[in-house]
Amino acid sequence: MLSTLLKPSEGSILINGIDVSQNPREVRRQIGLVFQESALDRTLSVEENLLFCAGLHGLKKRQVKERISALLELFSLENKKSAPVASLSGGMRRSVDIIRGVLHQPKILFLDEPTVGLDIQSRRRIWRFIQRLIQDQSLTVILTTHYLEEATPCDITSFIKAGHIVSSGTPDSLIKEFAQTVVEVECDNPDMLLKRIDIPRSQIITDDSSSILIRVLDDKKPDLEKIQTTLSEGAMSFKVRKPNLNDVFLWLTNRREGQGT
Amino acid sequence: MVNQSSRRTRDMIVALGVVISRELKKTFRQKSRLLASLVRPLIWLFVIGGGIGSILPSDSNSNYQQAIVPGILGMTLLFGSMLSALTTVYDKESGVMRMFIISPMSSYGIILSKLASSTIAGLVQVIGLLIILFTLRIVDVGQIHIPLFIFGLTCTALTCSTIGLITAVLSKSLDNFAAIMNFVIFPVFFLSGALYPIDNLPPVLHWVAVANPFSYGVDLIKHSITSVSVTPDFGKVPDIIVLFAFTVIGVTFSSWRFSQESTSAALVSILSKGRKS
Repeated sequence: MLSTLLKPSEGSILINGIDVSQNPREVRRQIGLVFQESALDRTLSVEENLLFCAGLHGLKKRQVKERISALLELFSLENKKSAPVASLSGGMRRSVDIIRGVLHQPKILFLDEPTVGLDIQSRRRIWRFIQRLIQDQSLTVILTTHYLEEATPCDITSFIKAGHIVSSGTPDSLIKEFAQTVVEVECDNPDMLLKRIDIPRSQIITDDSSSILIRVLDDKKPDLEKIQTTLSEGAMSFKVRKPNLNDVFLWLTNRREGQGT
Repeated sequence: MVNQSSRRTRDMIVALGVVISRELKKTFRQKSRLLASLVRPLIWLFVIGGGIGSILPSDSNSNYQQAIVPGILGMTLLFGSMLSALTTVYDKESGVMRMFIISPMSSYGIILSKLASSTIAGLVQVIGLLIILFTLRIVDVGQIHIPLFIFGLTCTALTCSTIGLITAVLSKSLDNFAAIMNFVIFPVFFLSGALYPIDNLPPVLHWVAVANPFSYGVDLIKHSITSVSVTPDFGKVPDIIVLFAFTVIGVTFSSWRFSQESTSAALVSILSKGRKS
């Protein structure tokens, strides 16, 4: 919707002061989009793809030639310039896709799960590149992701459940608001163990088949030692650690009506 | 606003340039397709032209092979331009269409750029064929009214691209390519004046051929060749009117349909294929 591909059912959206439904073409000039799946022509080379995309934005070859070289260098792809896209690895292809998204110097870049399906090394590389891009180009990035550790360096994180924002704020404040400490117990039979301890449901984040997560708030601090001794039988590991965004996510998505705060 | 519209025109010209250059690059890179586009008409010309020609009563002035030259040129444009316009479906499937959709181009602009690029791709292929025909002296340059000939080829290419675009915006995937081949390309080719004069056809076929815009393209090419073997079916002016009208209406329809598609959920779901929530 923000990217003008969908029409809003109601209300209006302003991007950089331009109404998305009134002037979608102007909005598209100011935003860059990178989809989960590649938008590149596999039969053309990297540079041909980038020049083609720049052209669709009305940018002539000589205007973007230098920018393309600079961006390829930023993503360490300068030696792949004339390689056909089909010959690139998944990570490289994603990098080229991101370059494609920022060629026309957008103010806002939408990244839709930019690292999905990539191995951990490529993911780290891509994130290093995106960080550099943000620094170099004064760019706002709007990211959707399932890998929550990727959302941790963001300025604002929002959790969306069934189309509604259920929680929003800086990752730090979200985590702080959520809990001070998390107790993670790995076990085979969480249901049985849960019966043994006396903890309100609202503090149990998840109870899937292999672990229990308990959120510990300062004011209602449960007796950790007692929990540990009660659970030592049947538990494979017992960990007290700092909460992260994954915990917040699990808590938000597992929470049912009237449960928790 | 003058500023904005002049900037849009300038952007559109640049975009047109890159769409055309991409199409040409792809045309020349697919060597086998390019070769096929040259060999196919030659097979028709020699095998069908020669074969059918041998069973027709021949007199010294006219021969069948000469008579189907305009039709074969039309066929090259039909395959060249139409297949090229059909790659729009491939663009949708492979995701390249995303680049178009998120660019500041309007859907009308996208369709026009596709029209231009596939028209040019078809014309490039026909130029290749013409070089062979001239070298083999099957067509005599002296018998051709060159400006009308170029005009006729261009109009036919535009019409074939339009047929391809209409097919492309109406079909969802290339899976039904065989169906497109059977239900679009072959009927358009056979039910026209490409291989036989329309006047002698049985009534039903006659009316189908009259309703087929491709017939008028071939007819306009016939007008530009002053060989005795070639007899046009319609007048020049009706040809031009039909070809232009069809192109304008077809392009308008395709852009409208394309814009519907790009705002409807269908295309968005193609665009974000694989998204879970």
